[in-house]
Amino acid sequence: MNNARLTTQKYAYGRRFDQWILDRVRQKRGSPELPFTLEYRHIYVMPTRFGLWFGILLALTAIGGLNFNNNMALLLGFVLASIAQMTTLLAYRNISGLSLVGLRAPPVFAGQPARFKVLLKNPEERFRFAIQAKSEESGDCTDIEPQETGQLELEQTTGRRGWMEMAPFRIENRYPLGLFRAWSVIIPRARCLVYPAPALNPPPLPKTGRGDYGSARQGEGEHFHGLREYQPGDPLRRIAWRTSARHEKLYSRVMESPSEDACEFNWYLMRGGNTEAKLSIMTAWILRAERRQIPYSLEMPTAALPADLGEDHRDACLKILALFQL
Amino acid sequence: MMNPDQKSIFWVIATLSVAMAPQIVRMPLPIIAMALFPLLWRIGAELLGWKALPALIRHSATILALLTLFFSYGNVTGRRAAVSLLTVMLALKLIESYRIRDARLIVSFSLFLCATQFLFSQGILMPFYGAVTVIIALVTLTQLHRKEAFESVGETPAITASIFSELGFSLRLLALAIPVGLAFFLFFPRWATPLWGIPETTLDSKTGLSGSMSPGSIQSLFMDDSPAFRVEFESAIPQPPELYWRGPVFWNFDGKTWSGSFFGKNIAAKSRPDDQGAPWRYTVQLEPNERNWLFALDYPATTPMDTRVSMDFQIFRREAVTQLLQYSMVSNPDFADTPQMAETLKTSALDLPNGFNPRTRELVQGWRESGLTGRALVQHALDFFNQEAFYYSLDAPLLGKHSVDEFLFDSRTGYCEHYASTFTVMMRMAGIPARIVTGYQGGWYNTMGEYLLVRQSDAHAWSEVWFPGDGWTRVDPTAAVSPARVNRGSLGALSAPRHLLDYAWLRNMRNGIDVVQQRWNDWVIKFGASQQAKMFSPLGLERMTPSTLVIALFVAIGLFSAVLLPFILRTRGPGRKDPLQAAWQKFLKRLQSAGCEIQPSNGAIELAHEAALHLPGDSRAIHQIADLYSRYRYSPLPPSLNELKSAIKEFHPKKTAV
Repeated sequence: MNNARLTTQKYAYGRRFDQWILDRVRQKRGSPELPFTLEYRHIYVMPTRFGLWFGILLALTAIGGLNFNNNMALLLGFVLASIAQMTTLLAYRNISGLSLVGLRAPPVFAGQPARFKVLLKNPEERFRFAIQAKSEESGDCTDIEPQETGQLELEQTTGRRGWMEMAPFRIENRYPLGLFRAWSVIIPRARCLVYPAPALNPPPLPKTGRGDYGSARQGEGEHFHGLREYQPGDPLRRIAWRTSARHEKLYSRVMESPSEDACEFNWYLMRGGNTEAKLSIMTAWILRAERRQIPYSLEMPTAALPADLGEDHRDACLKILALFQL
Repeated sequence: MMNPDQKSIFWVIATLSVAMAPQIVRMPLPIIAMALFPLLWRIGAELLGWKALPALIRHSATILALLTLFFSYGNVTGRRAAVSLLTVMLALKLIESYRIRDARLIVSFSLFLCATQFLFSQGILMPFYGAVTVIIALVTLTQLHRKEAFESVGETPAITASIFSELGFSLRLLALAIPVGLAFFLFFPRWATPLWGIPETTLDSKTGLSGSMSPGSIQSLFMDDSPAFRVEFESAIPQPPELYWRGPVFWNFDGKTWSGSFFGKNIAAKSRPDDQGAPWRYTVQLEPNERNWLFALDYPATTPMDTRVSMDFQIFRREAVTQLLQYSMVSNPDFADTPQMAETLKTSALDLPNGFNPRTRELVQGWRESGLTGRALVQHALDFFNQEAFYYSLDAPLLGKHSVDEFLFDSRTGYCEHYASTFTVMMRMAGIPARIVTGYQGGWYNTMGEYLLVRQSDAHAWSEVWFPGDGWTRVDPTAAVSPARVNRGSLGALSAPRHLLDYAWLRNMRNGIDVVQQRWNDWVIKFGASQQAKMFSPLGLERMTPSTLVIALFVAIGLFSAVLLPFILRTRGPGRKDPLQAAWQKFLKRLQSAGCEIQPSNGAIELAHEAALHLPGDSRAIHQIADLYSRYRYSPLPPSLNELKSAIKEFHPKKTAV
């Protein structure tokens, strides 16, 4: 089993059964208020595929034992059945009393998977073994020590910017033998902020001041760096006309321009292009300005932030972009 | 070498090895090799990092295994062959199991294999075998579960358990499951008759006496100390010379081998001894011997229901005894067996093959010519055995064509079957109808269990001669040579030990331990539909029907659950106090009793400052404790907790008037 690799089981018992359970949960209790403690009425217990197989084998043993009146075989079958039955309680006990204390995901850029952190507190004086969180897309597993909080991470692919709701997931375990699965379905009320995807090859950072917007930053060390396809926001002066004519496609020159000045990212001064492309470029600019430690200001139709630097500023700006016109 | 990831595969191998152990020792050698090879290969592959075998080799190994099985057993429908097949296939599965699913398949089938072993033996050691297999399988399944859970994550589990805690957990699980398992065992309605028959009338390991007798066949049983049957007497116990347990009776002799006669086996006994006044009433618990005859003392007056008594007083059952069988008997020795015998039977009781044993014929002819007949001749023959230099011994040389001649004149050393055979041949030569009876003689009385234990080593052969009017009369020529055989049992008759570990005290201990086996048989193995129905008769419930049994089952499970459930589901809240906090509370209490007002919201250092103002005499101690506390709490390199504890212990502030 060296190279064994288990793919995360997508559904507990097939799509339709899972959907049915989900609908029931949605109707009966909906999204839980945190902290949410798993109690007996929230927990389902059903045999796993291996558990069903084991049951068939036990039934065969018992029938054979009864037929031949072989008492030892019967006794073995009954004791094993009793063990199996007891593991339903152990599986239940392993997740009951766990408390869902937190659901949060740090913002991500569109296209990156959102990582929802599921915080499970174990308020009791006993170990919790192999607690799993599973969604349709991913799964995670952890042991939780007494009076500790375990953290499980569920990934969720992101499409577009804005808020993304966390998909329903299961907290489950098959402790101790893998014969039974005890699980609870959670319809979370949690969301992840998805920033616009940064443009791959954004135009150079614009300089301070309205007048200069779209013009090259006149730094001392400005020099030609390369060519790339024209993108909205590229100053007209930068267009490499001769190259563009040859390729029947617009190309811009990329210039390097180190500068200590603050720069201004102004929605109104972005020319052409659609909203998403412009937001992508502004996102890329913000990241670049942060990296180069150039203070930047943001002006959008919905909000404006003065020039600043730092994570808080960046996050605030990105949030404005993420939620623009949504 | 071994990484933690491999741990579970070694547990899988261990589970299979333990489960197949009893089977392995009974399989033919080539099949043992077929079962062990994949096991060893897998261990080697894990330890030395061998690559997986190509499909061609795996498939050819499977085909080779099937062929070996077929040629070793002749067929694959027999029970032993079927279980061997399961064993070998499971072992072969090991060489291609790299997924958790396969590992679980092997573990669950190993448990099934364990159950099949009880078809062959339900001895007293088998429960331990079952328990060990279950515990190891539980550990393995627990490991596989953890492996499966964490495999998708790609990280190793935070909590790793020691082997002792894993075994302990499995043991607890088993112990907790036993009450409910027993409730099922007792109350689950049993089937009085099987739904489908046992496909074969016998298993492959026939034990005990066989259906024919040739020199050496009983001698081989002498080494076998396993129990043949146990007898509990309701009446007085017969004296050792009376304990002849009658089994197969032989009429036909081909010069070497004795075998039963068709008439003897198939014609029913014409008359039976009187049941009234029969001195011996007893119950026999017969170990499965895969034969269809039962053993009884001469002569059976009443016999079990589903049996018949043949003309030569063998007791036959329709099916072979493949499970422990208990039957009650009444025997009456005061009986004349066939006082008048038909000519055809007389002829067959005198029949001898031509051209064998001329020297014996000459000797017997001499006796007859000297005028000896009937009982006098029998006595003469016994005296001959007694007075000439005959030896009762296990080291009998192999005999050739004229086996009786060679024994009588040359070797003169033999076991009971030599004497019985020779004597019977001599009687027939003398014109006295004679036959051979095999069975067991004697037994060991277990005073602790108050039953008679008859072992395979008590197997015996003797003769019967026929006289008009008196009928068949038992004559034991072995007793003439070695009276101790009959009076003190088979082991008492020999001076030398049979094998290296043949000590009297060890035999006695074994006999003593046999009482456990007898109880086990009594209470567990022979429990069935009829015992189940009568289970509550002491409580006034005469007969349990399936429905009352099911009710009893639910009541029992309910009762056990009421006890076990709170135990299994118990929760322990945050009971254990933080020791640091406990010490700190103690400190605060001391401050309070010294007259300090305490603001619980204050931090430790603030609190210390305030307290020091109130208790200037103790200010050093207060600051020291507060400093230790905050360092213990917040410093990356905390001091020992004991330092803080002892500081608080020694802190006795003087009360000040405020």
